[in-house]
Amino acid sequence: MIDFLLNPVMAAAGCFGYGVEAEGQVDLSRLGAIVTRGTTLQPRSGAPAPRMVEAPSGLLHAIGHQNPGIAQVLERFAPRWATWTVPVILNLAASSAEDFASMAGRADVPGVAALEIDLASPDLARRGRPISLDPAAAARVTAAVRQATDLPVIVKLSPAAGDVRALTRAVVEAGANALTCGGGMPASGATLGSSTGTLSGPAIRPIAIRMVEQAHDAVSVPIIGCGGVATVADVLAMLAAGAAAVQIGTALLADPTLAGRLADELSLLRPPV
Amino acid sequence: MSARLQASRASRPSDAELISAREFLPGQWLQTYRAPSLAASLRPGQYLQVDAPIGWGVPMRRPVTVHSVDRGRGEVSVHLDSADPATTWLSTVRPSENVALLGPLGRPVRVDPRSHQLLLIAEGPAVAGLRFIADEALTAGRRVTLLLGAHGAAEVYPSSLLPDEVEYVVATDDGSVGHVGSVVDLVTRYEAWADQAFAAGPPAMLATLARLAAGREKRLGVARLGRRGGRAPARGSQRARPRSWLQVLLPQRVGCALGVCLGCVVMGSDGPTRVCREGPVYEVDELTWDDPT
Repeated sequence: MIDFLLNPVMAAAGCFGYGVEAEGQVDLSRLGAIVTRGTTLQPRSGAPAPRMVEAPSGLLHAIGHQNPGIAQVLERFAPRWATWTVPVILNLAASSAEDFASMAGRADVPGVAALEIDLASPDLARRGRPISLDPAAAARVTAAVRQATDLPVIVKLSPAAGDVRALTRAVVEAGANALTCGGGMPASGATLGSSTGTLSGPAIRPIAIRMVEQAHDAVSVPIIGCGGVATVADVLAMLAAGAAAVQIGTALLADPTLAGRLADELSLLRPPV
Repeated sequence: MSARLQASRASRPSDAELISAREFLPGQWLQTYRAPSLAASLRPGQYLQVDAPIGWGVPMRRPVTVHSVDRGRGEVSVHLDSADPATTWLSTVRPSENVALLGPLGRPVRVDPRSHQLLLIAEGPAVAGLRFIADEALTAGRRVTLLLGAHGAAEVYPSSLLPDEVEYVVATDDGSVGHVGSVVDLVTRYEAWADQAFAAGPPAMLATLARLAAGREKRLGVARLGRRGGRAPARGSQRARPRSWLQVLLPQRVGCALGVCLGCVVMGSDGPTRVCREGPVYEVDELTWDDPT
């Protein structure tokens, strides 16, 4: 159900904005797909500075979902996406099943190939605990989104859950077409402007690989591995763990052309069948 | 797409060869690179990024401050501060070795064509980011005064590194060099003389200067520089006439430098603003300033 991907190397949410910002600097057509910045129901101005600091072998960040809101995003960017060959996956972030469903219901427009539902968001119904820590809450959101749209639904789960097998089963039963596993661990640092942030980059790669293994073990939908992938060896390690595709995140901020190069290298190693 | 790629070539990494390096103050280094295309295109206030080799555990490119540019020789000098641990690897580069420098990045300072007298205000190592402004201003026949604040003599930027034409005034917390106290205390003595001012330093110092600058017109009773009323200059244009007496250089943070990751965003008076693209130089009234606590 992610057969719309042009190849297994995607840009992770937040690293290419809405694509249009990166369009002039990167050949997007070489990517398997791009995932947009996290988009919310209402516009958000984001977290206080500093939003991004380095951590050993990683990056600690708290952007706070700065974005113009779903209505603006679909109006301003979707017509542009519709002219591209690279599929665009719209990443949605919300704190309730209702908000997720409300956004999903509007997003089936030309230019949007699929939705990625970010369940690392705090759950308003559960005093701010991340939705993806609780299988029942994650399933509720997934089912609400599933009902609201015919687009492929990719559910992004946080590695903070520890053992994700029960969680992956719950969201797949609720209608998820694919899972993104990884994306960053909750973390804190004194030099960050927010009290909590997310740790990404090479530091979390082994965590993401374990998460992919567990998900692959538990469910049969395609798994997208996301966490610290920076080399073609990292891509192969994710695929060996059971991933059908990978997302490149932090490494793209250091080198925006990396994802295209990894896709090219991978196609030489694994000729398309 | 190809035309767009061409258009962005200006900000592609250039291979730069290290020519020389020296520690001019304890923990503060100047490195000079041969980088003709960068030297030709850099403007005061803009910055660079460098890419750490794999193995240093630094997953991101690092912002680097441009100290000075020698266009004739095609050389660019950058400032390294050992207080920034992630630039440690750059200090291990040896002469004749190459480094990929990405730039020029960001919006440069805007000097009004009618400004003849420029005031530069710095606290601590941030003075390195103002040096290029002084050089360009002197070349254009302007007069330059540099006010520097430091904890003590060991942190004072050496006058031997400055052109003779710059009037250089120092204030130290311990009084070991120059005036005793804060550099901010010196500003009011020069605010009438200066047509424009440019500041770099810690956030609390910039916030104090912002409040000081807001009261300048009232204290001096002078007309504001630039047009009153009428058509407003285009925002964001490099040619836009400065609206504020004071421009500030915000410190660069780690991030993509392309305007996509939103990691460097600070709150501007018109909403969030990306330091990597709309900055790092801002008119003081383009930003919101918290009261220092």
